[in-house]
Amino acid sequence: MAPLFYIFAVLAILAALSVVLQRTPVYSALSLIVVLCSLAVVYLLLGAEFLAVIQVIIYAGAIMVLFVLVIMLLNARQETPSDRSRLARWLGAPLLLVFLGELLFAVWERFPAATTRAAALPDAGPRAVGALLFRSYVLPFEVTSILILVAVLGAVVLAKKRL
Amino acid sequence: MIPTHYYLFLGAALFTIGVVGVLTRRNIIVILMSIELILNAVNINLVAFSRYFQAVDGQVFAIFVITDAAAEAAVGLGLIIALFRNKETVNADEIDLLKW
Amino acid sequence: MFGSYLPILVHFVVVVVVAGAIMGLSAWVGVKRPSREKLSPYECGITPVGDARGRFSISFYLVGMLFILFDVEIAFLFPWAVVYRSLGWFGFIEMFLYIVILLAGYLYIWKKGALDWTR
Repeated sequence: MAPLFYIFAVLAILAALSVVLQRTPVYSALSLIVVLCSLAVVYLLLGAEFLAVIQVIIYAGAIMVLFVLVIMLLNARQETPSDRSRLARWLGAPLLLVFLGELLFAVWERFPAATTRAAALPDAGPRAVGALLFRSYVLPFEVTSILILVAVLGAVVLAKKRL
Repeated sequence: MIPTHYYLFLGAALFTIGVVGVLTRRNIIVILMSIELILNAVNINLVAFSRYFQAVDGQVFAIFVITDAAAEAAVGLGLIIALFRNKETVNADEIDLLKW
Repeated sequence: MFGSYLPILVHFVVVVVVAGAIMGLSAWVGVKRPSREKLSPYECGITPVGDARGRFSISFYLVGMLFILFDVEIAFLFPWAVVYRSLGWFGFIEMFLYIVILLAGYLYIWKKGALDWTR
């Protein structure tokens, strides 16, 4: 189990770097799919079975399909980097390291090395998730449908005119 | 058994990479993809704490976050298409009508 | 708990090994004599015309968005179906409301003509 986590965590981080560093948008999209699938494995290792499946079906399936379609639709080619801000070039990387260090330090301070409250994984198959989702979180669930409805209306209104 | 804070490190790393993507890239589609990275970093934290507290609630939140990401991608990409129709560009720094 | 996921892991390893072996072996053993005809993209034997990166129709985007709508709906239906018996009428009514709201979106898309491919 432990080696699986390291393999897929490293894979996720490398693919995420590839998302940001690739100049061609299609390559970024493909790398993002790798990130999403590796994270599905990480969720599985955390015991979140249902979420892992949802991650692959909705995220890597539906959302990325939409991204790839829009990339084809807009015919997005390689992007040329702009040399607008010299300040950002020199200050960017150090500030980034400071930010990352701060985040990692904050996590490290709150969670000293040996903190794992319980070794057992929570049961999180569709049954457990459903029991919680449809009892305790009924209102958020119904609001979700309105969110999707609004998203659909917005997307149709924005895209309907002929391209 | 992997301790909880390793998952939080992974989330922090993905979050930082996503922020870098949002700040440095010009292509709006890639900026939107970096936002998806940030949302995933949040999801890792939610699921890791779901195990830490032995409660499934975190995973229900994560499902809502994924649903939200779906809605956000649909509307965001619709905005990009509408923008492309008007300005013929997908570069964020060329959409600067409001800039002095 | 992870025992049932072992086949997927095995599948994953086999896929990586087989794909790597095919790519690696053909790069290592294969004879490469590139010519102009061989390097051009294969389009069912017809000579390629124009650029493959032409712009696509907006209908693809609308269909992809519809796909997301129903994908999310199915994703919520699945745990609902598993716990349906213990929820009883309460569960029936909440899912009924959910589907009615999504159906309104579907009808809107239909009326707007986003499903007509030729327009």
